[in-house]
Amino acid sequence: MRTLVLGLGNELIADDAVGLLAVRRLRDQLNGEADVLESSLSGIALVELLVGYDRVILVDAMQTGRTPAGTIHEFAPDDFRAINAPSPHYAGIPEILALARELNLDFPTDISITAIEAADLSTLGGGLSTPVAEALNELVDRIRALLDAPLSQPLLRHHRDLGANCTSSA
Amino acid sequence: MSQTITIDPITRLEGHGKIDILLNDQGEVEHAYFQVPELRGFEKFAEGRPAEDMPQITSRICGVCPTAHHMASTKALDDLYRVAPPIAAKKIRELINSAFFVEDHALHFFFLGGPDFIVGPTAPKGERNILGVLGKVGIDIGKEVIGLRKQMRDLISLTGGKVIHPVMGLPGGVSKGLTEEDQAQFVAAAERAVKFGQFSLEIFGDIVLKNPDYVEMITSDTYTHKTYYMGMVDENNHVNFYDGQIRVVAPDGQEYLKFAARDYLDHVAEHVERWSFTKFCYLKDVGWTGFNEGPDSGIYCVAPLARLNSAEGMATPLAQQAYQQFHATLGGRPVHHSLANHWARLIEMLYAAERLAELAGDPDIISPDFRTIPTETPTEGIGVVEAPRGTLFHHYKTDPRGVITDANLIVATQNNAARIAMSVDKAARSVIVNGHVDDGILNLVEMAFRAYDPCYGCASHALPGQMPLIVRVYDQAHQVIQEVRRD
Repeated sequence: MRTLVLGLGNELIADDAVGLLAVRRLRDQLNGEADVLESSLSGIALVELLVGYDRVILVDAMQTGRTPAGTIHEFAPDDFRAINAPSPHYAGIPEILALARELNLDFPTDISITAIEAADLSTLGGGLSTPVAEALNELVDRIRALLDAPLSQPLLRHHRDLGANCTSSA
Repeated sequence: MSQTITIDPITRLEGHGKIDILLNDQGEVEHAYFQVPELRGFEKFAEGRPAEDMPQITSRICGVCPTAHHMASTKALDDLYRVAPPIAAKKIRELINSAFFVEDHALHFFFLGGPDFIVGPTAPKGERNILGVLGKVGIDIGKEVIGLRKQMRDLISLTGGKVIHPVMGLPGGVSKGLTEEDQAQFVAAAERAVKFGQFSLEIFGDIVLKNPDYVEMITSDTYTHKTYYMGMVDENNHVNFYDGQIRVVAPDGQEYLKFAARDYLDHVAEHVERWSFTKFCYLKDVGWTGFNEGPDSGIYCVAPLARLNSAEGMATPLAQQAYQQFHATLGGRPVHHSLANHWARLIEMLYAAERLAELAGDPDIISPDFRTIPTETPTEGIGVVEAPRGTLFHHYKTDPRGVITDANLIVATQNNAARIAMSVDKAARSVIVNGHVDDGILNLVEMAFRAYDPCYGCASHALPGQMPLIVRVYDQAHQVIQEVRRD
């Protein structure tokens, strides 16, 4: 089984770097049981990164404004409502999955999303905010736990209350 | 008004496009404001860094158009060090930029404009998406868009050095030349891209131009603004994405200005409005008179439609044919209909593909002479390219060691900001009657800005990253009477 841990974000923009930093730390702990990639792409551009994997864990910052910065959320793709994105740059996970299905691409059957509530997603060169920096180790542990869990285990805690109002950049 | 925005919890959430629509007592639109979040702190971030890091840094700002930032930044370094790259280096850079245009424009037409034009603006909401487009044009085209895009991106990595963020650009040239094997790959890819470009224009002709309702919508007053247009042109006043002079035409289509990148500050100024973070660019020579169109207002427009308007033709044969048909069909140059951007984008895709083919077949491109070593002491450099979304300026000042002391970027969407604001306002006024806003009406307002492909990828990547749109309708007392959210 091919597994990918994909860190998303922008290293230059404050808390948006957290997904990249987390998977970078994780990479050092792994013994080849998963591929680790970092990407600052979004939307449809991610399709080609996911092709060929059986299982993918996406790691990203998020901003719901509903939980304190540093809160870690775990989602399944179903938690994200499909929207008519105003641009393919912003197409979300449901659109990507639907597109992959429609085009019959060799796409992962198991996708999970680990996201951390950010405080600042707009300051260039801002560095991580304190609450997000403090939660970084826990974020890495949570991804690690996901990787170690058997596929069928319902480890994912579905935040449908949040998810119903959230979208994803992936 | 500003008070209403300040207490608005939504403004705490980054990554939202926001339209505020103010109604008068009669329920008619008094004004519609379109706002987008903006990246903060670039200048401060750049200060103190070596200038040669800028092509890598600026390309990392944005996950959508890294190649364009890389090119503009690299050209700014050429200018900073007063060094002319060898011909092979210039051609390799333009080759990469052309491949980037092909993949970017292909994606946009089919997946962005497609829902509006291929599926239809009044189609049910659930169908106005990528899958709806595939349903109309067929799965094979979807596969071709993904496949072509992948091929272009693979070529960009082959030459650019990195999959996502190219690292090829150096002051005075590029870091790596092309081999004959590389060249063969580019030739094959270009051939595929040209075919796809022609095919896409055929689809546009069949689905859009043969539908009188679409043509009426494109040419309707709701989506029309008579402004100035800006774009880069070569020595024949033909569209060029990589190098040339900046040409501005007036609303009557006559050349108003033509200037070198270095002189942009003599001609472009920025206006600040209390209600927006965005700085609105305008032509200094004409002046800012508010959000007005016509020859007395300095508001101008960039991106595909503007490029076709500010040039006198395309430098490649198939694109030139399409260019002539475009202007003939839409009543001559300049075309003031914002929705014509989608058609213009396809013509540019074909041009980029043909240019890719020309450059790929050019014997110069495999020359081992691809770098001129800079020897001058740096002071100030300005670089400009056409990005898919319009003219992109990079401007750096450095100390004698080449460390940045001051940096400024004007990205495409900033150039377009004033006209986009006007377009949203006008569309809202046209389609909102008695204060009623539903999904279909919202889509008609959204189409007004979607035509420009406004991109704030640099500001809104993280979750929620879909640049959701919030439309709020306020009564005269500035109370929200209706809210439609796309998130």
